[in-house]
Amino acid sequence: MRCIGLVELKNVSKTYPNGTVALRDVNLKIDKGEFVFLVGPSGSGKTTLVKLLLKEEDATSGEVYVNGYDVTSMTRYEVPYLRRSLGFVFQDFRLLPNKTVYENVAFAMIITEALPKEIRRQVPMALALVGLSRKANMYPSQLSGGEQQRVALARALVNNPALLIADEPTGNLDPETSWEIMKLLSEVNHRGTTVIVATHEKSIVDEMKKRVVSISKGVIVRDQEKGQYKDEDKNNQIYI
Amino acid sequence: MKIRTIRYIFKEGFVNSYRNKLMSLASLVIVIASLIVFGVFVLLALIMEHNISLWKEQPQLEAFCYEELDDAQVNRVEEVIKRIDEIKEYEKVDKEQALEKMREKLGENAAILDGYGAEIFPVSFIIRLKDVEASKEVVSKLEKISGIQKVSYSQDTIEVLTRISHWFKLGSSLMVVIFLVVSVFIISNTIKLTVFARRKEINIMKYIGATDWFIRWPFVVEGVIISITGAILAFVISAYGYKAIADKFSQDQFLANAQILSLVDIQDVWGVLALSYVIIAVVVGSIGSFMSIRRHLRV
Repeated sequence: MRCIGLVELKNVSKTYPNGTVALRDVNLKIDKGEFVFLVGPSGSGKTTLVKLLLKEEDATSGEVYVNGYDVTSMTRYEVPYLRRSLGFVFQDFRLLPNKTVYENVAFAMIITEALPKEIRRQVPMALALVGLSRKANMYPSQLSGGEQQRVALARALVNNPALLIADEPTGNLDPETSWEIMKLLSEVNHRGTTVIVATHEKSIVDEMKKRVVSISKGVIVRDQEKGQYKDEDKNNQIYI
Repeated sequence: MKIRTIRYIFKEGFVNSYRNKLMSLASLVIVIASLIVFGVFVLLALIMEHNISLWKEQPQLEAFCYEELDDAQVNRVEEVIKRIDEIKEYEKVDKEQALEKMREKLGENAAILDGYGAEIFPVSFIIRLKDVEASKEVVSKLEKISGIQKVSYSQDTIEVLTRISHWFKLGSSLMVVIFLVVSVFIISNTIKLTVFARRKEINIMKYIGATDWFIRWPFVVEGVIISITGAILAFVISAYGYKAIADKFSQDQFLANAQILSLVDIQDVWGVLALSYVIIAVVVGSIGSFMSIRRHLRV
């Protein structure tokens, strides 16, 4: 068998039905344990790339492998199992408003038909990791934005995924809170989880000194260990 | 699917139908109304059927001999009747019995028969046929027998009733189908509203890896809960309603004496009624839910 990374894209292109070319012959390999920033201006194709990983969109051509799943040839009935093996964090948190913090996190386990015993063990651990043990019985509306994002993070981690994907996780947060979330993501990575963060927060990317994959106009223009968010990445935004 | 998941699905279904109480209530009322209409048609059809079979059991033909025939002549007539194939059985009513019957019929006015002997009554034969269809033929055969004065038969009434019952059943089936289709649409609409109200939640569930059916089953349960509740209430209403009418009916002396209509006993039909309500409810509820899930829950 070929050795494939935790995430691997081979000659992936994506053209939307309206003719927009979002990705052009992208090759990308992310190994277990890596922390990768996916940077690029709006419309560069980084959101499309994330959507391909979640099988929210299908690649027009090429192959996508995530966490041992052949995403390209997968049927829609297998998609839930792919998603269970991953953790996601979104810009808008996506918490269930009528469930408490604890229930929100536990829900991710209920859908996997986990044992109640497991749920009672894992949920407090995940909440402790994000520092929200004391707010377990509160509702999302009673929490600050940063706290809500931490709940979302706890939910993403509760099933012990091998890969965590965060799409603009700090997009709705102030700089200070953004840093807290980033530190948490970094800690999660230290514990062995592969983390992919799509963002355009220059200061954070520059400070963290992690692998940076820069996408522009659907093409990977730069892939750099301990990289920075270059100004040329920004400039692309202007010229688009 | 694990038991705890099934428990989750049922809990969600109940919670959702409660959260959606106004629409649930509206669907509930429609389901009850349709089922009651259905029940009324079923009961009417059962009553018709019941009465037709009662009438069918009554003598179908009665052949009267001339009053002046002597016993030997009557016996010859009887011999001929015996040889008609289509006749299942017959009963000979002699003059004495005919007088007795007339007395019974007249009741307290029987006194007007005093002074008359049995000889004024004709001997008659009450005949049951093997097959109702053959009645016309048999009547013409009987009329050819010399010695028979007249043949009376209730066949026309039975035939008319059978026809009416046939058309009634057809018409009522149509009505029932219309009502059920309406119920299906109302339920599917209710579920559609629930789906819309919860589309964000559904989206989140999709992202964290819930399977299609994990998301869908609570909606099906919700639809079935509404329709089964409707079935139970409709059953209680129609069973008690029918019982009340049947009680009033049996108290009505005139109708009871006339013996033209007899109601079926609620004890004999409640099982059929309850069973068909529940089956219909489950079918209507799940079809309604599935329809809206298919259309509005492309997960």
